[in-house]
Amino acid sequence: MSIWSQPPGSLILDPTPTMENYVRIAGDGYYIRGLLRTLWLSLSTTAIAALLALPLSWWIVLRAGRFRGLMLTLVLIPMVCGALLPTLGLMNLLGPLGVINGTLKSLGLIDRSWKMLGNQTGILIGLVHAFLPLMVLPLVSALDRLPADVESAAMSLGANRRKVWRRVILPLAAPGLIAGSALVFCAALTSFVTPLILGQGKVATFATMAYQQASLVLDWPFASALAVVMLVILALIGAGAWGAQRWAADTP
Amino acid sequence: MHVKPKLTLTSALTAVGLTASIATAQDFSGQTLIVGTWGGDIERLLKEHAAAPLEEKTGAKVEFLLGGSGDRMAKIYAERQNPTMDVTFQNIYEAPQLLADDLVVAPDPELDIYETVWDGMNDGCYAMSLVGLGIAYSKDLVPEPPEWADMWKPEYNGMIAMAPYPSSEGDGLLGVAARLEGADEHDADVAFAKVAELGEPALTYTSLDEVFALMEAGEVAMAPMISGYVLAGLKEFPGIGFSFPTDPGPVLIRDMVCQVKNSPNPELAQMFIEYALSAETQKAYAEEIYFGPTNSTVKLSESAAADTINSPEEVESLLALDWPWLIEQRADWTERWNKDIMGQ
Repeated sequence: MSIWSQPPGSLILDPTPTMENYVRIAGDGYYIRGLLRTLWLSLSTTAIAALLALPLSWWIVLRAGRFRGLMLTLVLIPMVCGALLPTLGLMNLLGPLGVINGTLKSLGLIDRSWKMLGNQTGILIGLVHAFLPLMVLPLVSALDRLPADVESAAMSLGANRRKVWRRVILPLAAPGLIAGSALVFCAALTSFVTPLILGQGKVATFATMAYQQASLVLDWPFASALAVVMLVILALIGAGAWGAQRWAADTP
Repeated sequence: MHVKPKLTLTSALTAVGLTASIATAQDFSGQTLIVGTWGGDIERLLKEHAAAPLEEKTGAKVEFLLGGSGDRMAKIYAERQNPTMDVTFQNIYEAPQLLADDLVVAPDPELDIYETVWDGMNDGCYAMSLVGLGIAYSKDLVPEPPEWADMWKPEYNGMIAMAPYPSSEGDGLLGVAARLEGADEHDADVAFAKVAELGEPALTYTSLDEVFALMEAGEVAMAPMISGYVLAGLKEFPGIGFSFPTDPGPVLIRDMVCQVKNSPNPELAQMFIEYALSAETQKAYAEEIYFGPTNSTVKLSESAAADTINSPEEVESLLALDWPWLIEQRADWTERWNKDIMGQ
């Protein structure tokens, strides 16, 4: 369908193959910028999620003890709630009349709202919040396979804390980190509800552009072309992650 | 004059036709009429005033398919070889598009319902209700009911909320902006440049409550909004007003009711549309949700009359945009809106 078109003044599809939709995506800086913005948001989400998930997973595996089940449940909750509810909840937290702005205002720290919605900040907060579990779970299972005393063993051989992380824990957690990163990146790339609601129509990502074309402009062939571009990127990332996993598995 | 007798003859014939369809009413039991419309108050009003009497009279069942009008457009195009929906409610720019693509039954000038509707409004499908794009405003920040030009005052820069684009609200605002500069919507450069002067929208709203809460908090001063729902919703927000501007007047926006071509139940579909356009249904729309009647014979209570577009003079004062032309610009204008107005 992405190589079809609509004749001018009509919404009926013309199945004569044409590359015009792809030419439009490649030729217009707007769509390329949208694509780069989406990739950047997904990359930032992955990086932030990894930074938060590493210490959290390590703590869950090695230190949580009998709270481990509870912690895992807490981490999982955002995932089983779906995308919409947590996002609407975040709107109440981050909005101009939300809890955070309300607190800052009543403390007299600001007098006009601090904008966290309708920009990349809000979307990043939403995406990290939504997809952190996708990073924590593979990391927990990777770290779980380490012997419990690997840390003290390394330290007894003279490694300091930083060295233990850099030379022992990180390399051993690499398969989990790679799997988690691929999952978070793909989820963030295709995420639609979060950027739509928290971006308030001001931050266009590839998914919200496709939505606008499909549901509002009713240019279905062009929306399909946008979707195909996204699919190709996902396939490339999938292949990349698979390659990286093999490399991590082969590297002692 | 031989126009008059001809009209009477048509009406008489239609009356006979109607009686005939009522007489054969029992034949419809076991059939299900599918009506696509918006959820909430509209669904409720249609259930009470159109579906219930139709079911009682014909023994058929009426099922509602709820959602946005864009979803229904997609469904109609996807199912055009084999439609499942009989009646659909669309907006002012979708109806002519559907007729141009030959997917709906053209309004029939021979029918009574055609004639009761204000002249020239059955464009693509039958006109169902009249609303105008006016300005919702915070009474705190904007002391007098504003005119369009007031939105461009420097003190309100960046404090205007807007609906997502594409939408009738967005096209209406562009049409008004162009007129303030002495052009009209056909001059896209002027229209977009003027709207861009408003500054980045304070909010792109998806729900009315969102806008009203921010208006009460003093973060949003004004928002171009469609009368109707807004006026019904405003009764709970004393600090917010709604202005029907005069220079130019409010932008005419109307909902349309369409009979899908080659649908499974054409007779029932036409009967449903007759009920929807009846004075009774139209009066309920006006009294309960402030949607102005298209049926020129409806008599309204004073309070409903004040908040709806219902007199010939009011209809005359509305700004009519060139919707068929606007719909052709949709793809280009969406990109332009994203770039010039939303700054993406």
